[in-house]
Amino acid sequence: MLISCNKLKSHIKNSEDIDWLNIWNTFTIRTAEVEGVKKVGDQIDNIVIAEIVECVEHPDSDHMHILKVNCGESEPIQVVCGAPNVRVGLKTAYVKVGGHIDGIEIKARPLRGVLSNGMCCSGRELGISDNHDGILEFPSDAPVGTNVKDYLPIDDIIVEIDNKSLTNRPDLWGHYGIAREIAAITDHELLPLDLIEIPNDKKDLEITIKDPNLCYRYTGLKVDNLKNNKTPLDMQIFLYYVGMRSISLFVDLTNYLMLELGQPMHAFDSRVVKKIEVGLASDGDTYTTLDGVERKLTKDNLMIKNGDKYFGIAGVMGGLDSEILSDTDSIFLESANFNAGSIRKTAVALGLRTEASARYEKSLDPNMTIIAIKRLVYLLKKENPDLVFGSNLTDVYPTKLEEGHITLHKNILDIYMGRTLSDEVVTNMLEKLGFKIKTNKDAYEVTVPTFRATKDVKIEQDLIEEIARMYGLENFEAKPLKLDLTIAEHETIYNQEYEVKNLLATKYDMHEVNSYIWYDTETLKKLGIEKNGVKLLGKSENNILRDDLSFSLMNIVDLNFKNYHKFNIFEIATIIENNENKRVLSIILADDEKNIETIYMQAKSIVKYLFKMLKNKSVTFTNNVNEKSYYDTSLGKVINVDNTKLGEINVLSKVVTNKLAKKKVIVCIDIDFDKYVRIIPTQKLATEVSKYPTVELDYTIIMPNNTKYDTLKQVLSDFKSNLIKSYSLVGTYENKYTIRYILGSNTKTLEQKDLTNFKDRFIEHIKNNNLSIIE
Amino acid sequence: MEKELESLIANLKKELKECSKEADILNVKSKYVGKKSRITEILASLKDMSVEDKRKYGSLINNTKKEMESIVASTLESLENKVNITFDDTLDYDIENGSLHPVTIVAKEVTDCLKKMGFTVVSGPEMESEYYNFEALNVPKDHPARDMQDTYYLDNGMLLRTQTSDNQIRGMENYGAPLRICAPGRTFRNEDLDANHENTFFQIEGMVIDENISIENLMYVMQELLSEVFKTDLKVRLRPGFFPFTEPSYEMDMSCVICGGKGCPTCKNGGWIELIGCGMVHPNVLRAGGIDPEKYTGFAFGIGLTRLAMMKYKISDIRVLNSGDIRYLKNFDIK
Repeated sequence: MLISCNKLKSHIKNSEDIDWLNIWNTFTIRTAEVEGVKKVGDQIDNIVIAEIVECVEHPDSDHMHILKVNCGESEPIQVVCGAPNVRVGLKTAYVKVGGHIDGIEIKARPLRGVLSNGMCCSGRELGISDNHDGILEFPSDAPVGTNVKDYLPIDDIIVEIDNKSLTNRPDLWGHYGIAREIAAITDHELLPLDLIEIPNDKKDLEITIKDPNLCYRYTGLKVDNLKNNKTPLDMQIFLYYVGMRSISLFVDLTNYLMLELGQPMHAFDSRVVKKIEVGLASDGDTYTTLDGVERKLTKDNLMIKNGDKYFGIAGVMGGLDSEILSDTDSIFLESANFNAGSIRKTAVALGLRTEASARYEKSLDPNMTIIAIKRLVYLLKKENPDLVFGSNLTDVYPTKLEEGHITLHKNILDIYMGRTLSDEVVTNMLEKLGFKIKTNKDAYEVTVPTFRATKDVKIEQDLIEEIARMYGLENFEAKPLKLDLTIAEHETIYNQEYEVKNLLATKYDMHEVNSYIWYDTETLKKLGIEKNGVKLLGKSENNILRDDLSFSLMNIVDLNFKNYHKFNIFEIATIIENNENKRVLSIILADDEKNIETIYMQAKSIVKYLFKMLKNKSVTFTNNVNEKSYYDTSLGKVINVDNTKLGEINVLSKVVTNKLAKKKVIVCIDIDFDKYVRIIPTQKLATEVSKYPTVELDYTIIMPNNTKYDTLKQVLSDFKSNLIKSYSLVGTYENKYTIRYILGSNTKTLEQKDLTNFKDRFIEHIKNNNLSIIE
Repeated sequence: MEKELESLIANLKKELKECSKEADILNVKSKYVGKKSRITEILASLKDMSVEDKRKYGSLINNTKKEMESIVASTLESLENKVNITFDDTLDYDIENGSLHPVTIVAKEVTDCLKKMGFTVVSGPEMESEYYNFEALNVPKDHPARDMQDTYYLDNGMLLRTQTSDNQIRGMENYGAPLRICAPGRTFRNEDLDANHENTFFQIEGMVIDENISIENLMYVMQELLSEVFKTDLKVRLRPGFFPFTEPSYEMDMSCVICGGKGCPTCKNGGWIELIGCGMVHPNVLRAGGIDPEKYTGFAFGIGLTRLAMMKYKISDIRVLNSGDIRYLKNFDIK
């Protein structure tokens, strides 16, 4: 929202004492965030009001004129001007030679051979409007020779306040509310508004509120005998500076009041107003708003109706047929208050967020409607001294909003503030903001003005906020929490996640990625896979929540294949499985197809290492019958720990892999991290080491074709001997498997006959199992 | 005698000089100091010498033999030293490194700091109910605050949490008062992506509840946190904010490190970055968590971890963080 400092100054007594450029840093830390402070008008100077006293056509131009202008100096000055509205007697803005426009110096120079000493300029050239149709036209009583900056409020400071930070402050959606804050912050006096009292000697207007829960108040007034619909220049400049277009006095005044008080208003052409009714629309009806768009209505949309016809969408926008025509001399003023939630819903549903709806959504003070009308009439009368009232000030206000009452306990205030403030300080700060306060021994009885009582200030903590910010957040002293020596009870999931991530990044040089919780639609299409699952509402792409973490990372795999021929990535993240959140660790190994065995084995050893090092658990792998079509059916493994399934290793099927990249292999590990976290590591115990030497024996066993190591593993585990310290597979070549036995005894050094005996038994065991051994 | 002994040493040195292999040295060794060498002979003859000669030559002969032995030993050593160097010791390969995600690194720093202050690290679900994400946090249906956060609603009646604040309620339910928790986690807002906007990002939530907790305690924790993470004096400002779940509410901004506070697209030209939303826990939220607001007060805060990582590492485009592009990620190492 844009704020004009000139306007604020008019509401504050002795406002010249305030540093208007720098006050906004304080405003930001006291009230709301200021996004920008900009001086305007400082790019022009040496511009005075001048009267055209002579006007002849330029001999070498079809549109330029040679003017003589009187700018208060002894002799008229010759100026060449191309504007169409030049005429003798017109008072306009004249830039003297050496003056500036938009920061550029104006010099005396010939235009098509005729010397122009300075220039006459348009509103746009002065930076005070976007009108460039002709040069500025001052009223006939404008004093010639006066600097325009003394005549019009051109020098100003325009401040942009972040709308979001005003969400909870309905009172700050107009200049008057901002002025109240500035006055409070700087200890100045806020001036009352000039209003006009309206006599109640005419007839009431016909106004009905059908839904008092949705329309809290509707105030109307008919004003007649309006001859002048021209907006004074200073008001035009104000409107322009704060981002609004000047249209006509009647329309501009309603906007002006909205910008001043925050109260949206509407001026209808009285000739078309019959009787006003506020009520809900019917489903399926349509209505064309002021912007010419036909809107589809529902029974949730609150409407202003005129007679039997829709006349405007309440609190959002008027209709095309309610527009004021230029020939009217009578207007019907509407100043109303609506339910914030209803306005918001309608504005969102219609996709029509207007200045009015933005304000109504914040829960405006209904007591403002009548002040706004009295204020508007005051301003209207300045331009139309002969106006007459065509009706009573008709006010339909079914449920009056009263001031709020809150008890603020001193002990609670002390706890929040971390200090005790004197009654005087508290009283002073609240009163400056418009609260009334009565001090008791243990508490303050605070009366909340209605402009703060609609929703913002409801409980004593709201008052503490007011006191704390006016006291100054920078005046607080950071204080440590009092030490509590109880050991904090820790959930271990975060630590365990970090531990695993750190291990994968350091031992295996893997890269942690972050991804999205939904499948990438484009990648699914590319791979020809359809996924069903929980869906995001209102989205047609990237809208299916993932149920397989590794597979959801395939867009990342795809991206990295463009730069790397092999890489390893991992992530611990959430998937949605059977409508439940589930944490999963995914590790993806991607490499050239020829390295499939290497990375497959690596995947298995990563899993074994992880569980060995972090949980002291051994892992067994069993074959996995995977129902997911995009994984290879023969290479899937289930990861088992303590006879429980902890996860899977899968190889992306060749068909799907080929769609990502040719001659590549992608191995995916998925570990159920919720289960992982719950595994209690096996207690480690010291093992005794024999003082007698051990002996290594290697045996190479030849396996029949079409058998796998699994078979041999079973045979080996069946062979028992108390000499065996350990044995392991140390190498393979074609169908030959070399097994290394470590033999030893805790009671003696092994002799040759022990070894021979072992060897004979082992060879026999192997042969009995129909395997052969290289002796 | 002296002359002979001197010549033995000289000859030994001369012959050793011509040796290039270990075996040659050993041959020379046995010739000069072995069992059948001249010096051994002389040493053996010592016993037949007169007392006077024994006194005269005894130590000289012994010392000569020791010297000859040490000459051989040092020659052997220098030969060993020579043969060891057989590779290009100036070769220099690049190391391979893995990497943690920058958000993970920053989250670790923040949680480490909070843990030191006695906070428990907890976590909550990303797919959340309206109750925990909004209602229990004092944001009833149709509250305009729901508009402030564009929510991803799901077809199963749940939503993707818009903030980690759901952990406030879950934390109070699980642990009661007094309470010190923090909860890092992923959050979601339905926004269009650009250099400054992501629909998926990380926050860390914090909450402290106890008797007599004040605004000043809140300030202390925030300031400690930021100086711990950035390890420099930062320009920060605290200003009034609005969150339905805290009252009073504050926003803490830090000066933008991307542009040094001059104004850039990351800070929307304002020079300040909104980093922390915080405030005193609203009594309604305490009640929703089953805690008596008459007895306890508390504060809560939410820090944009993604924003923090961007500030710490001067990342100007938020989109790289969720891209999974190793070319960017590998630069972050693990700390």
